[in-house]
Amino acid sequence: MNSSNGNGSMSTASSSGAWNGRDQFPAGLRVLVVDDDQTCLMVFEKMLKTCLYQVTKCNKAEIALSVLREHKNEFDIVISDVHMPDMDGFELLKHINSEMDLPVILISADARKQVVMKGVTYGACDYLIKPVCIETLKNIWQHVVRKKARNTF
Amino acid sequence: MEVGQMQRRLVDYTKSLFMEGFLDAQFLQLQQLQDESNPDFVVEVVSLFFDDSEKLLNDLTMALDQPNVDFKKVDAHVHQLKGSSSSIGAQRVKNACIAFRSFCEEQNIDATLRCLQQVKQEYYLVKNKLETMLRLEQQIVAAGGSIPMIELGF
Repeated sequence: MNSSNGNGSMSTASSSGAWNGRDQFPAGLRVLVVDDDQTCLMVFEKMLKTCLYQVTKCNKAEIALSVLREHKNEFDIVISDVHMPDMDGFELLKHINSEMDLPVILISADARKQVVMKGVTYGACDYLIKPVCIETLKNIWQHVVRKKARNTF
Repeated sequence: MEVGQMQRRLVDYTKSLFMEGFLDAQFLQLQQLQDESNPDFVVEVVSLFFDDSEKLLNDLTMALDQPNVDFKKVDAHVHQLKGSSSSIGAQRVKNACIAFRSFCEEQNIDATLRCLQQVKQEYYLVKNKLETMLRLEQQIVAAGGSIPMIELGF
């Protein structure tokens, strides 16, 4: 999946199909990562790939949202930066929560309690403080399973 | 200079960057992410960081040069620089950004101008150090050697 326009871009690291088989789980977890900072985006992509996830990266929330709308069942989890120009992480989170059933993790260098609180109350399943280390990303599959389990009962 | 000597020099130099606080554990994470499928990962990320930071520093300089400073805008730029510097482990730049943000909140123009100077200084220092380190690595690889892994007791 590849698309780009003048103002923003996104790209997928691999083009293999849907996440297959519980044996390899969580390998193949389909992650959409959104951050307007290209340095951070590059580091996240590499870390997520190292976790054997299938990574799509995006530098604009609006593009991320339209991708999610067009490819509704092709992602397992969204990781988004909070402070971005135009649409920020909170708005993206609100849209995702109202339109689809995807866990969203917010990430920011902003560790202020009121901002973290906002993330949690808006429905982020986690709020991570930058810099994020790979060990944390290795555990994000729990949010996917937890949400699926909640929906089943 | 033979490869062993170059490798020792690189190890000592890299260690000093950690000891002096220019780099923190996050940089080690980046080095550990580098592998045969992505042998230039660290160079690429660091280069991106340099590009981004220089733009941000220019934006900051312009923003603080206005007759009516928009501190929200200044804060947004500093926040971004804090995020990217912390993502590559540029500790002193990150710390300079933290101080900068608190003065933005106070809307203190003199203090924020001083902070800008401080951030610029830290940025150019770490840029210089990283370029030196990466050059040493290149020389080792060109001479047929491998980059030694740094063991640090964190």
